[in-house]
Amino acid sequence: MIKLNHINFNYENSTGACGLHDINLSINKGEVLLLCGESGCGKTTLTRIINGLIPHYYWGNLTGDILINGKNVSKIPLYETAEMVGSVFQNPRSQFFNVDTTSELAFGCENMGLPAEIINNRINRIAGDLRLKDLLGRSIFALSGGQKQKIACGSVAALEPDVFVLDEPSSNLDAEATRELKNLITLWKSQGKTIIIAEHRLHYLWELADRVVYMDKGRIVKTFSGTAFSRLPKSELDHMGLRVLNLESLFNAPLSNFQTSATNEMLSLYDFHHSYPRCHATLNIANASLPKQAVVAIIGENGAGKTTFARCLCGFEKKCPGTLYDEGACFQGKDRLKNCFMVMQDVNHQLFTESVFDELAISMENEDNDEVLNILESLDLLSLKDLHPMSLSGGQKQRVAIACAVASRRPLILFDEPTSGLDLKHMHQVAENFRQLSEMGKTQFVITHDPELILAACTHVLHLQEGKIQKIYPLDRSGTYEMLSFFIDPESIIQKKAV
Amino acid sequence: MDLSAFAGNCSARLWLDPRTKLIMLLVVNIVLIGGGHSGVSTVIRPLLALLPLLLLLAEYKFKPAALYFIFIASAMAAETFLVSRTQGVLNLIIVIAAGLLSRFVPVLVMGYYMVTTTKISEFVAAMERLHLPPQIIIPFSVMLRFFPTVAEEKAAISDAMRMRGIRIGGKNSGAIIEYRIVPLLMSSVKIGEELSAAALTRGLGKPVRRTNICRVGFGPIDYGFIIFTLSLFFAWIFY
Repeated sequence: MIKLNHINFNYENSTGACGLHDINLSINKGEVLLLCGESGCGKTTLTRIINGLIPHYYWGNLTGDILINGKNVSKIPLYETAEMVGSVFQNPRSQFFNVDTTSELAFGCENMGLPAEIINNRINRIAGDLRLKDLLGRSIFALSGGQKQKIACGSVAALEPDVFVLDEPSSNLDAEATRELKNLITLWKSQGKTIIIAEHRLHYLWELADRVVYMDKGRIVKTFSGTAFSRLPKSELDHMGLRVLNLESLFNAPLSNFQTSATNEMLSLYDFHHSYPRCHATLNIANASLPKQAVVAIIGENGAGKTTFARCLCGFEKKCPGTLYDEGACFQGKDRLKNCFMVMQDVNHQLFTESVFDELAISMENEDNDEVLNILESLDLLSLKDLHPMSLSGGQKQRVAIACAVASRRPLILFDEPTSGLDLKHMHQVAENFRQLSEMGKTQFVITHDPELILAACTHVLHLQEGKIQKIYPLDRSGTYEMLSFFIDPESIIQKKAV
Repeated sequence: MDLSAFAGNCSARLWLDPRTKLIMLLVVNIVLIGGGHSGVSTVIRPLLALLPLLLLLAEYKFKPAALYFIFIASAMAAETFLVSRTQGVLNLIIVIAAGLLSRFVPVLVMGYYMVTTTKISEFVAAMERLHLPPQIIIPFSVMLRFFPTVAEEKAAISDAMRMRGIRIGGKNSGAIIEYRIVPLLMSSVKIGEELSAAALTRGLGKPVRRTNICRVGFGPIDYGFIIFTLSLFFAWIFY
């Protein structure tokens, strides 16, 4: 039983993250509670209140009581809360203390001072429950995002808490890993655990949720029962800024004009082969032609070679022998490095200078101040031109990176998971940016797990499987069907038809 | 992107106690950087420089081992035979190059060996056996955890810089260090913050005696290495 009474909270040095206003909530044992709302609505803050990180780690002004099983979480030390509440976070890269998986599973129990024998038993049991046996004894740095998230869930489960708090656990996961996460939450639910999930991607969760809390600007605006929430019409969800509940409903989405506006020119690729030492992911494309000035979504399972393909196309992998032909001009790896621009998943890696203006200026062959201002204007960044790029929000940083791509005048722009962890509004912003780049005649490639984004802004789909191109198709009526079939679990379609 | 160097973490072929590794690291540091070209040093330094070679071979890292051998053998040979026979600028170059190589390469290789073969939980457990306070153990273990993370971040930043055409000899080469360091610091700070939050919600810092499921303890091979290292160390000090 969790009780929140009149919670008010403000971060001490508020940097965009939202505070909370008069939150009253009681969560029953065994209940699955889904927190949703736009970015910055306070749902992450609420999870931090429940797992005690507020006020013990993130400081601020907190009033009100949080009682979990009768204990006041804001008064007891974090290690006592840790025994009752297990937390899984958004970023799989930064929630591991250890470098190998087995020690990570044991980490929490070791901190509690449990005897080695009990810890080993628990690890064995959890490895069985969560199907982690293949992952034991591996280096964390050799795992995919989905595998890391599974280990994170396992290491929390090893402490056997009554309450699980998950903060956007799926934002870095692909379709398959998201299904596994869903199975995991189903298992915890069947064990009678209380589960609180803050999440943007709702399609894998709504069936499990007993109650849905919709938040806005730090307040609870509405509470739905699971069934009432599932009946909300698409227009209502759009209005609330929420993602689709049912991927199946996208089958009926209208095709936009934009999606049929690409030209017929082609880029040709030859000899795109690459493999990493001690790694499964290999790329094996003998030749292919890709539509020019299109927005091509690159989809495929984990390890299908999506990132490797993008890295080879960009010329990051020096050993890849591939060549790209564009109207007779030939581009080797080094030439491609000068003609492609990749907007990385973590844009922090590619912003170097002290102001947004400088950032664009160094991207140009010949610096031209007027041109910089024009580009900033077109991407709605003009008001930010003197700010330090690191002080911007995630979405703004991404737009700065896109502006750099425009400033560099490169014809090919690649995006690596541009909408991971974004809400509906920001996803549409990204889609809008694609459209602008299209109008400038850029060819765009987008690695993504987000069918909504593909429908909103892509013209073609490149489906990779085991390092080979499975198929390239335009997103017309049948292409849309094919693309969605890839993202939707075939079992769930069959089940729904049976019902 | 190639982080396979750090992926070897969990399968050290020759298992040694972290304390053994620490003793070897310290002794190799002190003796090789401390230097000396006369008396017993001429024997002890090459013998200690053999340690990293042995450890690399034990990990089946044959190519780095061969490279290491060539570097060290030529540096030490140059110090012994060439320095006394050359003059002027050439002499200076040989003294500096050979001196730097023979002093720092073994130390770097020992550090690399320590980082890539030691699990963090092993390290923590071994340090606890030495009765060090948590205020020392936790920062050091976090440091160990951070090496591969920094390598990962650095690789991504280098890619971005290559793509933007920021390189030595290109434009903006003056600011190249700043461009590299700023994003690295920013992302390290962010990862560090999230890492601490995750560790705290898993009960790190609970005032009980931490247990561990990993193996710590000296075996016959540990004693062999320790006796070899320490006897050379004391010989170096007293003669």
